[in-house]
Amino acid sequence: MAQYSRRDFLRFGAVLAAGLGLGRSAAPLLAQGLQRIFERQRRILWLQGLSCSGCSVSFLNSDSPGPLEIVTQLISLVYHPNVSATQGDQALETIEKLTREGSYYLVFEGAVPQGMPAACQLKGRPMTELLPNILRRAEFVFAAGSCAAFGGIPAGEGNVTGAMGLNDYMRAIGLPVEKRLINCPGCPVHPDSLVGTLAYVAGRGYPPVHPELLTPDMAYKHSVHDDCPRFHYWQKETFAARFGDEGCLFKLGCLGPLSHTDCPKRQWNGGVNWCIRAGAPCIACTSSEFSRRRAFPFYRLGEQHHAVAYQEQDRKGDKS
Amino acid sequence: MSNTVTISPLTRIEGHLAVEVETEPLSADESSGCRVKSAHCAGEMFRGFEQILRGRDPLDAQQITQRICGVCPISHGIASVRAQEMAYGIKPNRNGRLLQNLIFVANYLHSHILHFYHLAALDFVDVTAILKYTGADRALKAVKAWVESAMSRQDAFPAAPFLPRFEGEYVKSDDRNVMLLAHYLEGLEMRRICDEMGAVFGARLPHSTALVPGGVTQVPTAERVLTYAARLKKIASFIESVYLPDLLEVAQEFPDYFDIGRGCGNFLCYGVFEMDESGKKFIPPGVVIEGKWEALDPRQIVEEVAHSRYAAGPARHPAEGETKPEPQRTGAYSWLKAPRYKGYPMEVGALARVAVNYLNPDDHWIKREVDAFLGPLNLPVEKLFSVLGRHVVRGLEAQWLAQQAFKWLDEIEVDVPATCEFTLPKSASGYGLTEAPRGALGHWLSIEDYQISRYQCVVPTTWNCSPRDERGRPGPVEIALEGTTLKNASQPIEVGRVVRSFDPCIACAVH
Repeated sequence: MAQYSRRDFLRFGAVLAAGLGLGRSAAPLLAQGLQRIFERQRRILWLQGLSCSGCSVSFLNSDSPGPLEIVTQLISLVYHPNVSATQGDQALETIEKLTREGSYYLVFEGAVPQGMPAACQLKGRPMTELLPNILRRAEFVFAAGSCAAFGGIPAGEGNVTGAMGLNDYMRAIGLPVEKRLINCPGCPVHPDSLVGTLAYVAGRGYPPVHPELLTPDMAYKHSVHDDCPRFHYWQKETFAARFGDEGCLFKLGCLGPLSHTDCPKRQWNGGVNWCIRAGAPCIACTSSEFSRRRAFPFYRLGEQHHAVAYQEQDRKGDKS
Repeated sequence: MSNTVTISPLTRIEGHLAVEVETEPLSADESSGCRVKSAHCAGEMFRGFEQILRGRDPLDAQQITQRICGVCPISHGIASVRAQEMAYGIKPNRNGRLLQNLIFVANYLHSHILHFYHLAALDFVDVTAILKYTGADRALKAVKAWVESAMSRQDAFPAAPFLPRFEGEYVKSDDRNVMLLAHYLEGLEMRRICDEMGAVFGARLPHSTALVPGGVTQVPTAERVLTYAARLKKIASFIESVYLPDLLEVAQEFPDYFDIGRGCGNFLCYGVFEMDESGKKFIPPGVVIEGKWEALDPRQIVEEVAHSRYAAGPARHPAEGETKPEPQRTGAYSWLKAPRYKGYPMEVGALARVAVNYLNPDDHWIKREVDAFLGPLNLPVEKLFSVLGRHVVRGLEAQWLAQQAFKWLDEIEVDVPATCEFTLPKSASGYGLTEAPRGALGHWLSIEDYQISRYQCVVPTTWNCSPRDERGRPGPVEIALEGTTLKNASQPIEVGRVVRSFDPCIACAVH
């Protein structure tokens, strides 16, 4: 990582401008562009709504690059509620200053309590009052985790806050989402999915995404079921009857067909394990309907007791 | 003349907390700072898990409740499976119990390391000391270069997230600062390894999918045991040779923090880590009220809502608990309810676990370990009831848990499944009492017609950051702040030091 000073960049800019026949006035612009390419440190404003901080903890679990490399080489983490040294009014001023200047990415974690503004406040001011301007002025908006993307558990049936994810919230308040909002679901979001998407956007701009869900294809294209190492059991109809058994986890409730994410390839926590490998049925935590309906529980053990038992076609749930 | 100072957001905790302190000047000309007369802690975020769980399949509960908190999800998972195990009439087999403990320990260790280094340390460590570093450590040199180039570029936000920060008195010794900073960086890797360790049996962290009532879905093979143990060795070594010594390094420069933030002096502990079928716990339960030990009686737990953003009502035991939000109710200032035990505010957390077992009339290994640690330091045990005391006991606890985890690994019966069968009852009830890293945690569950009819949680930070109760008595953190001296009311760094010593988690506290 080179350590060039501002003066160095101005010099480079001048040399480049001359070489390109652009005249002196182009030099500062080129200097700035170079600086950005060199540092690539996109400024990040990270805010939390109705959140458990799980996506932040998951982000800290990123390995290669780890959090230190991320904050010193990939991004400039201007504000993050869990790790920032600043606090109180100084923190609010930092957020206001960055929002005023623009040139930042917003990473949002947690859902927005559209139906109960008092359910998320910063020094007494509702997040729903602060967010629209912050969203508007961001270059790109990353919804980190299922809550931020699609509402997640706070948006579950029976909630009293009217919680929603940015995919719905931004549209509800009339903010453009096309080529601006990138949804990275998961409960929590997989660190690679978030960091990889940040790196992609920092270097190359808005990524290829699912047309409605706005989830990046690079992490969310295929279903867990399609890539599952236990797929052969599914084909042979060898099903696990009890937790801990070998076999396809379908009859225990596995929602792999509904879950579009690359967990089978990446696995979790540095590849040490992941849900299916541990014998744990997939709960479709990246799905836009994750934990939404009461009548659609995670496991089938109680299925016969429920008034509305889900049908086989629900399971196929193919959103594509 | 009194002034009000509000810190919101109070960063480097989990969740949305506003702390408001009323101060009085120390001297007539107000130049030597001020002192806190009273404090109000206000949780500023609400989700409503207790409503969302109603009407759901009971088996969903340990997955949904883990999302109460992404820092201590296993605590909620354990409390939930214990409540379900009671309702279903089952108990984990030996492997199930051991694997649950091992996933839980991993979550504790990540949490304590994260708390000291990545949440609390920046209140004490002067990160700008890196600019004076002249050594050869690659990571430190890279950080120094990064800060230098940000400053020479005149970045608008240099060295974020380490700057800006409140001015105040930080660690003075450059060597000590640089060492603590290096350990902050090493701690990032260590807590990641803790989560890997937990995922060995828990499938993934945060939010383990492998945790089920009656055990854990992961079958413990020899390879699983070995790969957990390999990581545990690294963590145990870090705790012993880096984390614990660092606590003492900070203590050396801030000895007065052994006398600041004493708190209410009442402690509650539900006990944690089942050792056998009888339910005997590695850290036993107990209560201390006004310095006297007594046995835990879970029937004495209530939640009051006098100053909480819920419909007015009497104090309720969580088995009959209600959660009816009324955000604008007059007199309410916090989304946290006010838990009380026999009417007393109770501190919970690592200090409570130690206090309760230190004063336990049955001679207990915790008392021996604490005395063995304090003896060579010539530190009387009373000093533990303080800001620094809370940090120190967290470190000690991390060491005890790491050592115990090796023993649990040895007890595992390799290749034997860690689950047991059960059927869902039509109606039943149960509760799970455990200890999250932050303190006493309880889930109370009622099932009717195969569905959750009631689910109530009383969570550690609900106790600690509790608002005032019906009698106007403040909560433990509000009490701990009283009398704190602030050198500069516009940058009240001391307030954060006191509050963070309790390791607050507001998402947990409100849920």
